[in-house]
Amino acid sequence: MVTRRGFIAGALAAGSVSTVTWAGLGDVHFLSAAQDREGAYRLIGMAETGAAIFSVPLPARGHAAAAHPSAAEAVGFARRPGNFAFVVDCLSGAVLHRLEAPEGRHFYGHGAFSMDGNTLFTTENDFEAGQGVIGVWDRSAGYRRIGEFASGGVGPHQICRLPGRETLVVANGGIETHPDAGRAKLNIPMMEPNLAYLSPEGAEIEVMELPREMHMNSIRHIAVRDDGMVAFGMQWQGDRAQAPVLFGAHRLGEEVRLLQPTPEQHAALNAYVGSVTFSQDGREVAISSPRGGVVQVIDLEGMRVARSVAMADVCGIGANAAGFVLTSGDGRVARYVGDRLEETGRQDIRWDNHMVAV
Amino acid sequence: MKRLLAVLCLGLLPIGAGAEVSDRGALIASVTDQHILPRYAALAETGAALAETAEAHCGADDPALRAAWGLAFDAWIGVSHLRFGPSETDNRAFALAFWPDSRGKTPKALRAMILKGDESVLTPEGFAIQSIAVQGYYAMEYLLYDPEIATLGSEAFRCDLVRAMAGQIAAVTRAIEADWRASYAETLRRAGAEDNAVYRTEEEGVQELFKALGTGLQVTADMRLQRPLGSFERPRPNRAEARLSGRSVRHVILSAEALDELAGMLSAGSPSLAAQFHEGFDYVRAASVALDDPVLATVSDPAKRLNIETIQAVLDDLREIAAVELGSHLGVVAGFNALDGD
Repeated sequence: MVTRRGFIAGALAAGSVSTVTWAGLGDVHFLSAAQDREGAYRLIGMAETGAAIFSVPLPARGHAAAAHPSAAEAVGFARRPGNFAFVVDCLSGAVLHRLEAPEGRHFYGHGAFSMDGNTLFTTENDFEAGQGVIGVWDRSAGYRRIGEFASGGVGPHQICRLPGRETLVVANGGIETHPDAGRAKLNIPMMEPNLAYLSPEGAEIEVMELPREMHMNSIRHIAVRDDGMVAFGMQWQGDRAQAPVLFGAHRLGEEVRLLQPTPEQHAALNAYVGSVTFSQDGREVAISSPRGGVVQVIDLEGMRVARSVAMADVCGIGANAAGFVLTSGDGRVARYVGDRLEETGRQDIRWDNHMVAV
Repeated sequence: MKRLLAVLCLGLLPIGAGAEVSDRGALIASVTDQHILPRYAALAETGAALAETAEAHCGADDPALRAAWGLAFDAWIGVSHLRFGPSETDNRAFALAFWPDSRGKTPKALRAMILKGDESVLTPEGFAIQSIAVQGYYAMEYLLYDPEIATLGSEAFRCDLVRAMAGQIAAVTRAIEADWRASYAETLRRAGAEDNAVYRTEEEGVQELFKALGTGLQVTADMRLQRPLGSFERPRPNRAEARLSGRSVRHVILSAEALDELAGMLSAGSPSLAAQFHEGFDYVRAASVALDDPVLATVSDPAKRLNIETIQAVLDDLREIAAVELGSHLGVVAGFNALDGD
C-alpha cells in the first residue's frame, strides 16, 4: 500500500509552473475529478469523448478544478472537508505543487484565479468560528499562502472571477459544517446563504440575499458571463414538497431574476441543482440535477426552461462551440446539442460533480 | 466494515448477493404501519401529556414535569430519523428540536426573553412566531436543568414560559401526527400509484425509508458521538447532546433501538442482513450502557475514550452496510453524485 506521505513525494514532479499555454495543449478539453474502477480517486484531463488524456491520482475524493487563465495549468481540489489541492501541468499531467489548507481550515472544493493568473483564491471553512474564508495563494511564489479574508458568509462553495475584472463572486451556501461531525449540516434552520461580490483584497462590494422565505435554499454553484451576469443554482434544505425555485441570475447593482419553471420542470430537479454552466454564446445556462437525473437548459432572457433531457446521475456540464457536454456518475459522457443527446463514451469510472472547460 | 468484522466477527454478504426485495408495496406498508405511525402516535401522546402536566407543574425541579418532558423527549428521539413529509412541513421538526445549537443560540435567546419578560410571547400565537431557538425539547431542557436559566428573572414568567413551550410541543406533534394519519401514510403506502406526485414509483417510496435509516445513523454517529469526541488532542465534552439533563447516552441507545427496528423491517427477506444489523445495534446498545457515563464526559479521558470511538466506528460500519448491502437488497443504490451531493 502506498502511504500518503510516499504518495505525495512521488507525485510531486520537478518544475514549478507550466510554461505551456492552453493553445498548445491539443486534446484536453475538460478537467474532471473521478473515481476509477478500483475505487481510487483521480483528476482527469478529458478529451471531448471522455477519454483520459492524463490522469492524476488524488489521495481522496476530488470535487472541482480551477483552470489558470493562460498557462496550461489547473488546480484540482479535494471535496469538502478535504485539506489538499493539487496544481497539475495539463500537458503532462505532472503534479507541480501540492497545496494544503492551513490549520483550522479546510477546502470546499472550488477556486478561481486573478486576471493575471498570479493569485489563486480558494473557498475554505474556518470551522471553529463557523465562518467562510477565501484563502489567497501566490502562484509566482510556488503557490505560497499569503493571506485570507472573510467570504461574506458561511459555507462558501463555488467562487468565480467576473470576466475582464478582478471582482470575485462567491456562493456562500450558508451551511455550517465542522470536520468533527463529518459532512453533517449543523445550522439548517438558521442558515442565511448569499451571493457575495468581493474585491481581491476582500472588501465587500455587494451581497445579494434572497427573500427570507428562501433562506433554506443553499446557493451553491455559479457560472459567470462576459458581461458580469452571474447564474446560480441552489439546493433546498427544507421539505422537498415546499421547495422554492432553484435557479436565478444576478448582476452587480441589479435586481435578482429567478427562473419561472412549470411545476413539472420544477419537480424534475428534485430540490437540487448540482452544476451550472453558461453556453459559449452566453444566451443559455445548463443546470444539472443528479437527484432528478435531469439537465435543463434555461433561456436566460426569458428565464424559462427551453429544453431538458433525462440522464441518470448526471452532474458535470461543460460547454463547447456546439453545445453542452455532460458527464454522469455511472461513467457516461454525452453531447447535448439542441434537443439531441448523444452518448460519446462510457467507461467503468464515476465522473464527479464538475467539469471545467480548459 | 472491517471494524465491525473485527469487533463482532460478522460475515459480509458479497455485494448484490441479497435477493432483491420482492414486494415493495408490502414493505412500505409494514414500515408505515408498524414503525412510523405508532412512533408518531407516541410523539403526539407524550406531547399532549407534557402540556397537561405543565399546567399543574411548572417548577424547574418538579419531578412530574421533568418526567413528562423526559418521556416526550424519548418519543422525539424515536422518530428523529424520520425526517420527511409531515415533520418537515413548515419546518415543524426544527420547531421541536433545534439541535445541534453549534453557536449557543438557545441559551442566549432564552436569557434575553426571560429578562425582557414580555408577556405577549407567552400566548400560543405569540410563542409560535418566536425564534425556533427558544422552542421545543432542547430549549425546555435549559428551563428545567440549566442552573442559571432555571433561576433567572421572574419565577412566574418562567412558569408561563414552560407552559408556552409545552403547549407548542403539543400543538406541533399533534399536527405532525394528524397529517400522517389523514394523508401522508396513504401517500407513502400508495407509492407508485398513477396520481401520486410525491412518490412516483414504489422504488421512490422505499428509497425514502432507506434514506431515513442513513439519516439516523449519520446523526447518531456524527452528531451524537463524533462532535463530542472531537479529536484526541481536543475532545469536546460540552458538545454532548442534552448533557444538562444527563441524557446524551440515553439518546444514542434510543436512536439505536429505533434504527434497529427500521433496519430489521427493511431487511425483510434477508435474514442474514437483518441479523447483521441487529447484532451491530445490539452492540451499540450494550456498549453504551457499559460506558456508565451518561454525558460522554469520558471523551476527555485518554484511557476510556476508545470505548466511545468504538461505538461510533460500529455505527459507521452499519452505515456502510446500509449504503452498500441494504441498498442493493432493496434495489435503491443511489448514484455516485445523487447519493451525497455537494
